[in-house]
Amino acid sequence: MTGQTPERIGARTTLQKLLSRFHFGITLFAVALSGLTILLAGVSALRGYADRNMELAAQLGAYGVEPALVFNDPQAAREGLEPLTRIPGIARLRVLNDRGQPLTQWSSPMADPAPLLTRMFFPRPFAVPIERNGSAIGTIEVWGDSSTLIDYVRIGLLAGLGCLLITAFGTIFLARRFEYELVKPLNEIATVTHDVRLHRRFDKRVKPLGIAELDRLGGDINNLLDELQGWQGHMESERAMLAHRASHDTLTAMPNRHAFDEQLAQRIASADARGDRFALLFIDADNFKAANDSFGHAAGDAVLVALSACIKDTLRKGDFAARIGGDEFIVIVDPLDADTVPADLANSIRACVAQPVKLPGGESYHVSVSVGVAVYPDGGRDATALLTTADAAMYADKLRNRSRV
Amino acid sequence: MLASLFLIGASLTTPQMSVQAASQTIVEDSDGGMSRAVNRMVGGIVSYARWPDGTADTPRVMCVIGTPRLTNRMAPDVPGTGSVTVRRLSAGTVAGRSDCDILFLGRMAIADRRQLIAWVRGRPILTITDDDAACIYGAMFCLSNRTASLSFSVNLDAIGRGPLRIDPRVLSIGRSAGGPP
Repeated sequence: MTGQTPERIGARTTLQKLLSRFHFGITLFAVALSGLTILLAGVSALRGYADRNMELAAQLGAYGVEPALVFNDPQAAREGLEPLTRIPGIARLRVLNDRGQPLTQWSSPMADPAPLLTRMFFPRPFAVPIERNGSAIGTIEVWGDSSTLIDYVRIGLLAGLGCLLITAFGTIFLARRFEYELVKPLNEIATVTHDVRLHRRFDKRVKPLGIAELDRLGGDINNLLDELQGWQGHMESERAMLAHRASHDTLTAMPNRHAFDEQLAQRIASADARGDRFALLFIDADNFKAANDSFGHAAGDAVLVALSACIKDTLRKGDFAARIGGDEFIVIVDPLDADTVPADLANSIRACVAQPVKLPGGESYHVSVSVGVAVYPDGGRDATALLTTADAAMYADKLRNRSRV
Repeated sequence: MLASLFLIGASLTTPQMSVQAASQTIVEDSDGGMSRAVNRMVGGIVSYARWPDGTADTPRVMCVIGTPRLTNRMAPDVPGTGSVTVRRLSAGTVAGRSDCDILFLGRMAIADRRQLIAWVRGRPILTITDDDAACIYGAMFCLSNRTASLSFSVNLDAIGRGPLRIDPRVLSIGRSAGGPP
């Protein structure tokens, strides 16, 4: 998975990239839209102001040149226009008399900085009729130019560019932040699921997340993990039970032959390593077959349970007992120190077994056992040899018991 | 500039008289061109004057005394709705009448003119002359023709003494456009 990740990013796209692209698109659209709106509003407002300005200039000129028109005096008309020539943004002035003949005209010595802007804003001159006592005596015409507009347009463009930059940076920052807020919890979820899958850490949980949808996803994952953990626990106990069953005898709950073989091999290995000794007690019920035959299998089982209970009672810490056959038990007495005498253990088992066993039918039964002892490594250096020695010792004991009876 | 220096000099020599000269109207070079120009100029001056009574539309009576030098067809052309009726009177009869709003003083005896100017003082009567190019004898407006053009001068002292109000724009035309070109 970890090795595949970079290839996946190359082949597909990351959430971060996707969000970034999306944000950029939205931002660009919004900025363009608002910029266009402001531009249009600004242009129409500017146009209104420019028109008003020209109209005011024309009115001022009309007032100033009115007597000059009455007296048909070009010099006075020039002087009447003079205040207008000081107003920036006027390219040309012309005063016409009532017959449409020009009385005077003036052109700005300054060149038009942006003829295109002029054509856009002032396609026609402003013509204001000049009246005297209610009758038209002439007309004043005012042509605007772009010298006042150019500053506004320049400042407007700069401000627009500045706004665009600020907006772009702002949205990039916000997008980053949003991506971080979104990607962090997703990474959290991914880390948990990855950990669970790779390391079987079913106890891991997704922490509560700030985003509702992702928190729900995290909650679902947690629930799934709960179930998985439940299954896992169930499976483990099942497996343990199966393992126990495989290595234990169901009747007496003692380890079986298979488990004993493994245990013996281990004990031999560890005794070899330490240079230590241990003893093997081979225990066999003497008259088990008779009990089975005369009182039934239930009675036989009861005898075996009683026998196993006695064996378990005599065990010390570290000792190991197993049922390896129908009525055959083995005890590993390990460690075998100076105080421990295997024969004493055998006798304590015999003493325990000597108590009468209560059979299911109500009868009382008396069991006796034969016990053979073998000491490792004196009785054999491997499991088979050791077992053979113990078995032989048990038979010898059995023969002695019979002769005693 | 020279003209204004000259004017200042003139006003210094005649302390009570402050004369403003003069607007120049182009006179069309055609039959009756001067008459039209004079009538138009007189009408224009009348239209910029405000009498204490009446409005701009009120018809005014112009009494012509003496012989006008520039035209013998006196019919002022007032722009807009105003109108002027012309009466010809002799110097002696004016003082007894009260219907003259405007006095046009043509060529006449100096004594008559002085008497009329004195009589006008304090009355709401506009005085115009065409026989006083320097505009020093007490008429409010003085017409004069110089080299195929007609102009007028303003006597501010005469205007200041009377109850008539004259549009300052006309005064400024007289003031600024002084001297022959």
